[in-house]
Amino acid sequence: MQKINRNVVLALLSLTSLVFLLFQLCYYKFYLSQKNGAAFSKVRGSQSGQDSTRWHVVRKFLGLISSHNIPVYLIDPLILGLVDKDIEQIRSSPDGPSPECKYFCAPRDFTTFALLDKTWKHDVGLFRTAEKMGFQWLKIINKDPRLDGMDDLSGMEIPLHYIFKLASHAIHLVVFYERSGNFLWHGPLRLKQHMDRKFVPFRKLHFGRYPGAYEKPELLLVSIDDLKVQIPKNPSSFLEEMSQSRFLECRYREARAFFQLYPDDASVDAVEFRKKAKSVLHLAALTLNNLGVKFWLSSGTCLGWYRQCNVIPHSKDVDLGIFIRDYKADIIPAFQKAGLPLKHKFGKVEDSLELSFQGEDDVKLDIFFFYEEDDHIWNGGTQAKSGKKFKYLFPKFTLCWTEFVELKVHVPCETLQYVEANYGPEWKVPVKTWDWKSSPFNVQENGVWPIDEWDNVIQLY
Amino acid sequence: MDEWKPNPPVKAHKKRSWYLAWKYKLMNQRALRKLCQTGAVLFLLVTVIVNIKLILDTRRAAYEEEEESAQDYDDEMLNVEVPRHPVNNKKVLDVEVYSSRSKVYVAVDGTTVLEDEAREQGRGIHVIVLNQATGHVMAKRVFDTYSPHEDEAMVLFLNMVARGRILIFTIKDEGSFHLKETAKNVLKSLGSQVAPFLSWRDMWTFVGKKGGEVYGEKHAKSPALSTWGDPVLLKTEVHLTSVEDAECHWPDTELNRRRKRFCSKVEGYGSVCSCKDPTPIEFNPDPLKDNKVFDVPVAVIAGNRPNYLYRMLRSLLSAQGVNPQMITVFIDGYYEEPMDVVELFGLSGIQHTPISIKNARVSQHYKASLTATFNLFPDAKFAVVLEEDLDISVDFFSFLSQSIHLLEEDESLYCISAWNDQGYEHTAEDPSLLYRVETMPGLGWVLRKSLYKDELEPKWPTPEKLWDWDMWMRMPEQRKGRECIIPDISRSYHFGIVGLNMNGYFHEAYFKKHKFNTVPNVQLKNVESLRKDNYETEIHRLLGEAEVLDHSKNPCEDSFVPDTEGRVYVMFIRMEQEADFTTWTQLAKCLHIWDLDVRGNHKGLWRLFRKKNHFLVVGVPASPYSSKKPSSVTPIYMEPPAKEEGAVAVPAAAAAEQT
Repeated sequence: MQKINRNVVLALLSLTSLVFLLFQLCYYKFYLSQKNGAAFSKVRGSQSGQDSTRWHVVRKFLGLISSHNIPVYLIDPLILGLVDKDIEQIRSSPDGPSPECKYFCAPRDFTTFALLDKTWKHDVGLFRTAEKMGFQWLKIINKDPRLDGMDDLSGMEIPLHYIFKLASHAIHLVVFYERSGNFLWHGPLRLKQHMDRKFVPFRKLHFGRYPGAYEKPELLLVSIDDLKVQIPKNPSSFLEEMSQSRFLECRYREARAFFQLYPDDASVDAVEFRKKAKSVLHLAALTLNNLGVKFWLSSGTCLGWYRQCNVIPHSKDVDLGIFIRDYKADIIPAFQKAGLPLKHKFGKVEDSLELSFQGEDDVKLDIFFFYEEDDHIWNGGTQAKSGKKFKYLFPKFTLCWTEFVELKVHVPCETLQYVEANYGPEWKVPVKTWDWKSSPFNVQENGVWPIDEWDNVIQLY
Repeated sequence: MDEWKPNPPVKAHKKRSWYLAWKYKLMNQRALRKLCQTGAVLFLLVTVIVNIKLILDTRRAAYEEEEESAQDYDDEMLNVEVPRHPVNNKKVLDVEVYSSRSKVYVAVDGTTVLEDEAREQGRGIHVIVLNQATGHVMAKRVFDTYSPHEDEAMVLFLNMVARGRILIFTIKDEGSFHLKETAKNVLKSLGSQVAPFLSWRDMWTFVGKKGGEVYGEKHAKSPALSTWGDPVLLKTEVHLTSVEDAECHWPDTELNRRRKRFCSKVEGYGSVCSCKDPTPIEFNPDPLKDNKVFDVPVAVIAGNRPNYLYRMLRSLLSAQGVNPQMITVFIDGYYEEPMDVVELFGLSGIQHTPISIKNARVSQHYKASLTATFNLFPDAKFAVVLEEDLDISVDFFSFLSQSIHLLEEDESLYCISAWNDQGYEHTAEDPSLLYRVETMPGLGWVLRKSLYKDELEPKWPTPEKLWDWDMWMRMPEQRKGRECIIPDISRSYHFGIVGLNMNGYFHEAYFKKHKFNTVPNVQLKNVESLRKDNYETEIHRLLGEAEVLDHSKNPCEDSFVPDTEGRVYVMFIRMEQEADFTTWTQLAKCLHIWDLDVRGNHKGLWRLFRKKNHFLVVGVPASPYSSKKPSSVTPIYMEPPAKEEGAVAVPAAAAAEQT
């Protein structure tokens, strides 16, 4: 008896052990698969139950904010993507009851809304009501970038993001601020030490990895899934804008350090040049934006932004870059119409194109066209009297928004590489004598234009 | 696979059990089986334990992973947590108070909260108010009771302090000369036994609770008129009460929460902290119809005069058409109390690290404030600039709303100001009347963004230039012949007595009798006539209808202007060229208006009121309006008197203050 008992016990235990080993294997597999996911989706209820939960949370949230008269609008890329497919129908029947929950029930962890800071009064009552309704909320505050450029002003920190969580769904409310340059800005989402990192799966948020810059959107009040909500009038262009919205703040602290070393030129000439450069830049931005041509700050203007957050007073011109694929023949007449006549045109669309326009009072606007190769990007230069060609090489870069002289403009996101390529490791030291043929760090000789092409590739006005 | 690492001991165990089994096999089969079984059981148990441990381990690893995953979103800047002070549960405070001829200090629990050994400063009675629950300093004041009237200020202050607060008194140098009976009685009522007998150059310290017990008092009599009493040092203990007892029980609203925060930190703001019937901190003045300045940002420039700021913000928030969301208070320095005042009213405040000294510091603070204002409100075309020592008229925004379009449309305008330099009680009359003047009065004004961004900001005086920002703005290089619009009756009132370039005497002479509009909703008259060309027509019309006064009389005499009302009179003074203000200055002096520099002129013409009549002064021949002078009239010339005492001493500094 004892033997059998013992054997049974042994067998049982072996079985348990086996079960455990199996479990262990399963667990490990499960853990691996979860590594990139989040604990949030672990507890998924029945699909339909989840669907209506999302809708209910959104409805409750909309109720909450409308009871406090806070105008928010929907910027959730997932829902806007769905809405965009049916946009005509939604526009035409703004009040029609919808037969099924098509948008707000779509599976996702968040619904994202935007709030314009100036349209609400930071009413504390909102959060009290939210709590009463069962929401848990999190506020992410940080320094006000609009004061960052200023010598030692310490304002109050401003709210950048709010997250309202109810049941298994969360609302991400992104606060947008107006910035000089007539655009909207939202901040990055950075958690402070004491904050609950597991409040929501922050990695899955659509906004907050970087700060972003947006145009002020036109809004449309629509009724989708029986909920009245404001959306950007043109969802697809909003989504397009969103994909290229990354914003870079100027390096104000470094700029201050630079001015400590090299005091700013406050002479009348410098003040005047900056004023003119600013107005030329504004005019150029207006003209190119109207044409829909993407451009960025290049050469000296880019260096000025990166190094000192201002126009370099001794630079004497304004430099912009444009990808050759964005070239349009309308550019020259458009500038002419805007009061910036063509001064010279070097190269041709296929090779080394460069345009110069005459701004008011000797401020020149140079537009360099950039050619993309597999592993680098380059632009060309031409010496008028000899027909010599030059080539300036840059590492590949993407474009980011920034604010410069009260303007929202592009700069290369990888600005340091760009500036270093152009000006070398000593870019921090101001140089007053500059020769465009020899001074740049990345200049290469590139042969000579054939004489018979000169009439075409060297045009001086 | 790291998770497997904890296993080795198990393996060893397993190995050993096999080894043992092998060993025992030689000895006894039965024993072997038994051992095998026990070994297996043990092994299984260990497996179970290891498994459980593994589960726990992976769980923790998963948690840590999760932590890391959020790292992208970590704030890279602020990883240093500021250690919170442990809650002070101590019930007793050690207080040390020292009084002597040249030095006073107060230490609470070993921390010096007051120390003053500066020469020629800080004479009189120093008062410190502590919170009876936390021991925090809520107010610090010094009343120079050697001088007249300071004891009245002290009584006023002590009456404002809430019951239950702890009061600490100490005398530096002399504090009894003008300490009158009333003040002595107040001190006596606080429990001081010495106060009624305080006399010349006595040293005195006292610690007591308002309306309660006395914690200690020490006194040293001055032995003779020419000497001071011996220094006294009072060491005593103060028992703290509970926080609940120290607070009022106002209804729990958002406003009262702000009030509570404020009142537990500072003292000396009167009924705002009264338990029974606190004065409101939200005013809800009537909105303005068609308010053109609702979206114009308001920058309040402040220093460390929190009581002024409190008074200023009260009047600002009571003005009709105010939009609190557009108000930002810029504090020059990291002062806590002004910030507390700003938070009390639920406004936003920004602190500015002081740059440079004296006038340049003010000037840098202005620049930073203006730049910040336009950064914070990038849509704004204008900004209203106010200072912390101004009362704001109830129709301030109404006045601006009616006139702001001029600043937008008329390029020849420099600013709109709420202040008329020459608008005294006896020289201003018509709240609906506006002027154009060549000087920039400041003291509540509107700045155009384009003017600031394109012209002023780029060449603003640098920190090493000790210039006044307002004097700089008045210079011809900046003003470029442009003018400001001002009202006849000022929409602001300058109440500041303490200031960089300000003192009581100066305030009394030049600011106290300034007229201030208190009528709401004044409809401004004929605003369009303030445009550049229209204004000339208007002036010519006025001069055409004006009666020429009798130039043989003394213009300083009251009888110079007939005893009429509502008439227009003109007089002509000598003014050889544009910058010749000799006669004007003398006239201004005898009329008791601003005479420290020239203000309020428009092309050699001044407009004011005398005896309720509009009174025009034309400088001949410099003014283009000289042609209106009848040929029979000789312009009046007034000689500057031989230098008087005082007349020269003040102006240099005084002119600067007039902002």
